[in-house]
Amino acid sequence: MPKYAPSLVMVALSLSLSGCLNNEPQDAKVTLNKNPYPSTYHTLPQQNTLIKNATVLTGTGERIDHADVLFVEGKIQQVGKNISVDNVTIIDGKGKWVTPGIIDVHSHLGVYPSPSFESNSDGNEMTNPNTSRVWAEHSVWPQDPGFNTARAGGITTLQILPGSANLFGGRGVTLKNVPSITMQGMKYPHAPYGLKMACGENPKRVYGSKHVSPATRMGNMAGYREAWAKAVEYKRAWEKYDADYAAGKNPKAPERDLTNDTLRGVLDGEILIQNHCYKAEEMAMMIDLGKEFHYNAGTFHHAVEAYKIADLLAENGNCAAMWPDWWGFKMEAYDMVQENVAIVDAAKNSCAIVHSDSGKTIQRLNQEAGKVMYRANEHGFDIKPEHAIRWITLNSAKAIGLNDKTGSLEQGKSADIVIWNSDPFSVYAHAEQVFIDGAKVFDRNDEKYQSQSDFLVGQPSISSVSPIKTIAQ
Amino acid sequence: MKLNKELSMTLSRKIAQFSLIALTLVVAIGSAQAKSLLIINATIYTATNQGVLEHASVLVDNGKIVAVNPTDTPKSDEVFDAQGKILTPGLIGAMSQLGLVEVSAISSTRDARDKKAKITFDPSLAFNPLSTVIPYTRKGGITSSIVGPSGGESIFKGQTFVVDLSAKFDSVIAANTAVVAVIGAKRKGSRAMAIQKLFNTFEDAEKKIAKAKKDKADKADKAKADKVKTAKNKKKAKDAKPAAEPKRDEKIINAMLAGKKSLLVYADRATDILALIKLKKRFKLDLVILDAGDAELVAKQLVAAKVPVVIDAMRDLPGSFDSLHVTLQTAANLINAGVKVAFFNQDTHNMYQLRFDAGNAVANGVSKQAALAAITSNIADIFHLNTGKVAKGQAADLVLWSGDPFELSTHVEKMWIAGDEYSTDARQDKLRNRYLKKSELPTAYNK
Repeated sequence: MPKYAPSLVMVALSLSLSGCLNNEPQDAKVTLNKNPYPSTYHTLPQQNTLIKNATVLTGTGERIDHADVLFVEGKIQQVGKNISVDNVTIIDGKGKWVTPGIIDVHSHLGVYPSPSFESNSDGNEMTNPNTSRVWAEHSVWPQDPGFNTARAGGITTLQILPGSANLFGGRGVTLKNVPSITMQGMKYPHAPYGLKMACGENPKRVYGSKHVSPATRMGNMAGYREAWAKAVEYKRAWEKYDADYAAGKNPKAPERDLTNDTLRGVLDGEILIQNHCYKAEEMAMMIDLGKEFHYNAGTFHHAVEAYKIADLLAENGNCAAMWPDWWGFKMEAYDMVQENVAIVDAAKNSCAIVHSDSGKTIQRLNQEAGKVMYRANEHGFDIKPEHAIRWITLNSAKAIGLNDKTGSLEQGKSADIVIWNSDPFSVYAHAEQVFIDGAKVFDRNDEKYQSQSDFLVGQPSISSVSPIKTIAQ
Repeated sequence: MKLNKELSMTLSRKIAQFSLIALTLVVAIGSAQAKSLLIINATIYTATNQGVLEHASVLVDNGKIVAVNPTDTPKSDEVFDAQGKILTPGLIGAMSQLGLVEVSAISSTRDARDKKAKITFDPSLAFNPLSTVIPYTRKGGITSSIVGPSGGESIFKGQTFVVDLSAKFDSVIAANTAVVAVIGAKRKGSRAMAIQKLFNTFEDAEKKIAKAKKDKADKADKAKADKVKTAKNKKKAKDAKPAAEPKRDEKIINAMLAGKKSLLVYADRATDILALIKLKKRFKLDLVILDAGDAELVAKQLVAAKVPVVIDAMRDLPGSFDSLHVTLQTAANLINAGVKVAFFNQDTHNMYQLRFDAGNAVANGVSKQAALAAITSNIADIFHLNTGKVAKGQAADLVLWSGDPFELSTHVEKMWIAGDEYSTDARQDKLRNRYLKKSELPTAYNK
């Protein structure tokens, strides 16, 4: 285990002048730097903009027809009818729909990028069932062409998670979907980290096949519990250190442990659980596991059976992130129903989310949500677009701890906005313009705002090889 | 056991049927003894050059489409008023593993591959019409599918078969319909080996055929010359070894050389596609290229060589150096260039999404009728099926939609496979209903 490097040490000068019974002088106070790879994100060039006369889905459940959206200096300033203001860029929104920027809570872009060679597959540290010490951000390749295609689909914020081979896969990171040379340039400032956990088949298969625990679901549970028990002690040791130091003593700082740093972050409420967990009975146990060790079980991802425990999830304040229709690739994905999201959503205080887990469907989360809405409405539900949009905006923001900053078109929030050429729940819909913090990051009709990965630059173009007439984007 | 026997008997019957019609390379779908049915007042998307027919009717008898817009008022056992809704041919899945896999990660439920599988591999023998994937797939308006092997270590993965989605024991319509091969990027070794193997295989077979022909001719000449000679010689000639019967794999290669069986090859990189075009020209093969990531680079060559492609219309990420040029506009650009294009969705469990893929292709520049053709008539043409069109003589595989067939908001209202009506209800609907039902007893008591 690495001992403290001096650079991690912050000196506290408030030494033992007051009421210290200990005669020993205090050493410098050891404090951990919780943000060693800070965001360097800057907004792209912003335009104060007024979108006029569009159909607006606010993300809070409201739909306003013939409405205007005004954003100034990167923030939503006003949403309503007949807004009039000078010195702003005007966009004619007639026939267009405006929604908050789309948020995907489950992506592996950058860590499992295209091209999918071993050399740049960095999403699963399959070396130990508990790799809470690894951080997905350290694997992100910002040149993944998938970030660009996702942006063309209206994705403004996305959480990049490690894979699901391990009980504890490591920390996830939330990014703003802006082109950047560095990960830090995309990193969402002050967003909470996620801790990826995984239930069920994957960990027990990966480690069971190596004759290492866990080889069963009970082994999975034992693995989580042992890890949390140690984390509780680690937290206690540090709290004791802090308290003793504050009391004027000169305690020895506990040995630092990167695995437990992450787990302690969860126990302290600073890191949110992002739990790959398909099955109803396992989610129920993960909720109790959280209670056993005093943390919230967070968001269940790939929650194929969430519909079986919709009330339990809502009562415990857990979000469930789901696909509209993926199934059958594993036993734990066998009981899919196409109305899963809608059933989870129907419970009081629910938090239903549509996620992608795919470089392909992240480009069309609007369609993924649309499929759910329409299938549910065929079977007794009455879900409107203004409600369904929450599954890919505000609820998603909540799951990653950003619902006070983004996910809806409310005054003061980031101007993360998509202008669609039509109802976004149509198969024919295109995101026409995408804004992040009030800066245009994509325009379907203007090449200037269509970014390209370094990887694709300079590859022989179709027009140079085969001069057939191509259709403009 | 009984079921197995029934199945294999049905299979052999169907296979026998196929071998007879293989000469024309058309797979006949729709032999059911269904009641006759007249669908009236439909907006028919014919997927033929007839385009869209408004207020149209279609007469179905004995599992086939007997007439489209019959001039007189024909008699039928049943009349169905479509109330102006859209009627399309049943959609066709291509290269799925329908009925060969129940749960992908459970190897004991997977029958599409085998390490030892070679060109002779016939996965139709493993087809399970009772797979829960089949009723679910009907939700997408899919009425039939070409099912493909994923094979083993050989570059020849085995042979395809064709099923309808009736989920009946006789739903295999034809087995061993085409050969599947894979070339391109390899983790170990060179891609050149696979291309060489393809050329060598056909060249060797061609030589063998030529030699057999020559031997036969020589023998005939010799027999003629010997005719005048003694009875002893006659006996000798009689005892001479007959030309060796071609082996099983040779018969399959020979069928491809004779144009009686198609060769379907997965390939992405432009150079691989060009190599296949050369192969086709050299051996006069009925070639289809699957995936064809780089196809746009060689669109002209594909058109000139009349090689159709079956592509995933949603593919737009450069998965490898073999597919750097695939975008959401690829489908439109290929169609505009004159390439015959069909779409497939190879995620067997979610093949039902095929219609949404077509919708997205429309959003990216393909015309609606071309997109429909890409999942119906073009598939049928490419794979030699007599379904996928609303036209006389075609199988009565028909789907009535609540609206635009490509839209998310639309669902299948009715579907007919070989003239019989089928439901789109699946296990998923039963599960949903069970959990929506309120009861004082545990859910397990909800039926």
